[in-house]
Amino acid sequence: MNETGAVSDSHDVEKVLVEQKLAVESIRTFLKSKTSYDVLPVSYRLVVLDTSLLVKKSLNVLLQNNIVSAPLWDSKSSKFAGLLTSNDFINVIQYYFSNPDKFELIDKLQLEGLRDVERAIGVEPLDTASIHPSRPLFEACLKMLDSKSRRIPLIDKDEETHREIVVSVLTQYRILKFVSLNCRETHFLKRPIGDLGIVSDHEVKSCHMTTPVIDVIQLLSQGGVSSIPIVDDQGILVNVYEAVDVLGLIKGGIYNDLSLSVGEALMRRSDDFEGVYTCTRNDRLSTIMDNIRKSRVHRFFVVDEAGRLAGVLTLSDILNYILLGAN
Amino acid sequence: MQNKDTSMIDINDANNAQDKKGDTSLAHSFSQMNVDTANGLEPRPQISGRQRSRSTLIFDDDDEIPPYTDHQEHGSSNISDSDIDDNSSGNDSDAYMNDDESLRLQPSHEQDQGLKNQDQQMQMQMHPHEPQLPSPSQQPQFVPSQNQPNNVMVPVDITWQQGGQKAYVTGSFTGWRKMIGLVPVPGQPGILHVKLQLPPGTHRFRFIVDNELRFSDYLPTATDQMGNFVNYLEVVAPNQHAVSPNNNIVEDNTNWGAGEERNQSEGGKPPLYKEQQNQTNRQGTSKTERKEPMSARSRIALEIESEPDDMGNGFSRFHSQELLAPKIEYTKDIPAVFTDPTVMEQYYLTLDQQQNNHQNMAWLTPPQLPPHLENVILNSYSNSQGQNSENTSGALPIPNHVILNHLATSSIKHNTLCVASIVRYKQKYVTQILYAPLQ
Repeated sequence: MNETGAVSDSHDVEKVLVEQKLAVESIRTFLKSKTSYDVLPVSYRLVVLDTSLLVKKSLNVLLQNNIVSAPLWDSKSSKFAGLLTSNDFINVIQYYFSNPDKFELIDKLQLEGLRDVERAIGVEPLDTASIHPSRPLFEACLKMLDSKSRRIPLIDKDEETHREIVVSVLTQYRILKFVSLNCRETHFLKRPIGDLGIVSDHEVKSCHMTTPVIDVIQLLSQGGVSSIPIVDDQGILVNVYEAVDVLGLIKGGIYNDLSLSVGEALMRRSDDFEGVYTCTRNDRLSTIMDNIRKSRVHRFFVVDEAGRLAGVLTLSDILNYILLGAN
Repeated sequence: MQNKDTSMIDINDANNAQDKKGDTSLAHSFSQMNVDTANGLEPRPQISGRQRSRSTLIFDDDDEIPPYTDHQEHGSSNISDSDIDDNSSGNDSDAYMNDDESLRLQPSHEQDQGLKNQDQQMQMQMHPHEPQLPSPSQQPQFVPSQNQPNNVMVPVDITWQQGGQKAYVTGSFTGWRKMIGLVPVPGQPGILHVKLQLPPGTHRFRFIVDNELRFSDYLPTATDQMGNFVNYLEVVAPNQHAVSPNNNIVEDNTNWGAGEERNQSEGGKPPLYKEQQNQTNRQGTSKTERKEPMSARSRIALEIESEPDDMGNGFSRFHSQELLAPKIEYTKDIPAVFTDPTVMEQYYLTLDQQQNNHQNMAWLTPPQLPPHLENVILNSYSNSQGQNSENTSGALPIPNHVILNHLATSSIKHNTLCVASIVRYKQKYVTQILYAPLQ
């Protein structure tokens, strides 16, 4: 590399740095100026489950509607009763695995009994933070990061009855997609993600195709993560097991398949699986945001030149960077 | 009010129908009538039966009315002229004249001429003494028909206050042919008026001010069906007039029957036999009574009321009074069929047995929804939004506002009930789908 090249390089780097900083600030302003209500479509559906519904029935409802989460409604107290997520099913699976004699209980388990299951297996109940739809989006994002949750319910109060209204549920993905669709500034996020310090590259739990699926489920639960990458003997990324994959695993209330290997369990995955998204440390955040806009991607696995797993970039990492990082 | 509207319509209908109808056929039927009247044919009962059932048809189908009304107008005008006691050259004959007038605006109507001639012929034949309609008059006092000792006339003051030197009024009360001059009101410059004696009913009129056809901005206005903008006023009969409505009915009945008969063009059928028949039948009651102008529609209604119950062809008259006959009592006790499940079950089982076979369990089927509720936007939900991008926000089509706050349900599957309703949330629409188990 000659001298002029180096000079222009350093000049470019400087420019990229400034641009990225301005872009992030601009996105923050955008998130502060918009409310959660603004993200909602003009007309949309919201599936709500009654807490007296059986857990196995609720699973069918989720699969039928092609959703992975739904707000719960306690019809006795007319109150919002939290969110049903794949985590709840993971808890049930773990409970059943350690108490195989309690199948009868699991089979008749209602959604309102999920809290008991949480207590029984000693899992911290997820903080069900909620936010008013007319609060700024920035605030909703902060609350989501604080509660380590991937989604946040929007709750309003009816003016006449003063009862809670579940307006919608926002996810990290929806917010990031909203940003990538509506902020042109994402094009100026040109710094390599490796330089941003946002990639989680140590203690990334992984498994092999032959790992029993129940072990993978335990990894999901223990790590509080939404997916476990599957690597081969060389450490090359071959697939991923997602928390939402457990829905298909116990479809129909059958818990017999917990002895399967994770590779076999993945055969249950539906055909419209998005695929595994990878990136390298040299990729830019603008490229990442482009992909979020185009596809339903919830994490990027960072691989090296040989395709070996080197880290993971989650949506919360990205959100955290946009909200709080890059100073 | 209703009377006014109806007679308005009558005129228009008459115009319409006449325009629609073949001119020659109408003329033909009229000339036929003329001949028949002259000959004075005998009544034929079987035709009378047919004619009556026709009158029911009119009520079955509103669309039938205009042609009949048309005929009726002509008929009544003729008859009223031919009736010895008749003095009303008010609404009916006016209506006829108006009709006549509007037709004359179109080039060369043979039938028009025929009608008029025939009309005059009739008058001449039957009432040599009856004066013709009054000729145009410049006097402030104008009585459309002088020879009406028993008929109720109401004095009406018509004023023109929108300037001009010479003002005339013309309208349905003169058959739109004669112009009545207005005179200045003493002490009120620029205001002209005329006092008219008009029969009760709705009268349409316009002013001719300095050779220009105008309408008054100070009087009610409306367009007739031809699109002409006219003033109108409703003349209400004073309360004291003691005409028995029954006898009006009889007279009108007669007129209508004859008119209709005439225009059916039933080929050589004696058009006025009905009138003669009725006259002979009812002369005793109707002889000395006067009739008052009445809209065609109410005449049809009254005519039907006055006809015998047996309408021929196995039809008998429907009487609304009969429905009211059973005495209904209110109770505070809820019938056992609504409270006791066993009685309720028994009741439905009985229903079932009564409507056996194909109607089985029909009471279980909910009634058909209004069409706008059939379109449930949830049914058009798709996961794909556009070509590639997935519908991650659950976006739905924007609902029609009429389906808001309605409850939609799916059929119960696996003991789970799914209900949905679309509600507004601020400027947006939330379609909440609630899954709940059956208890």
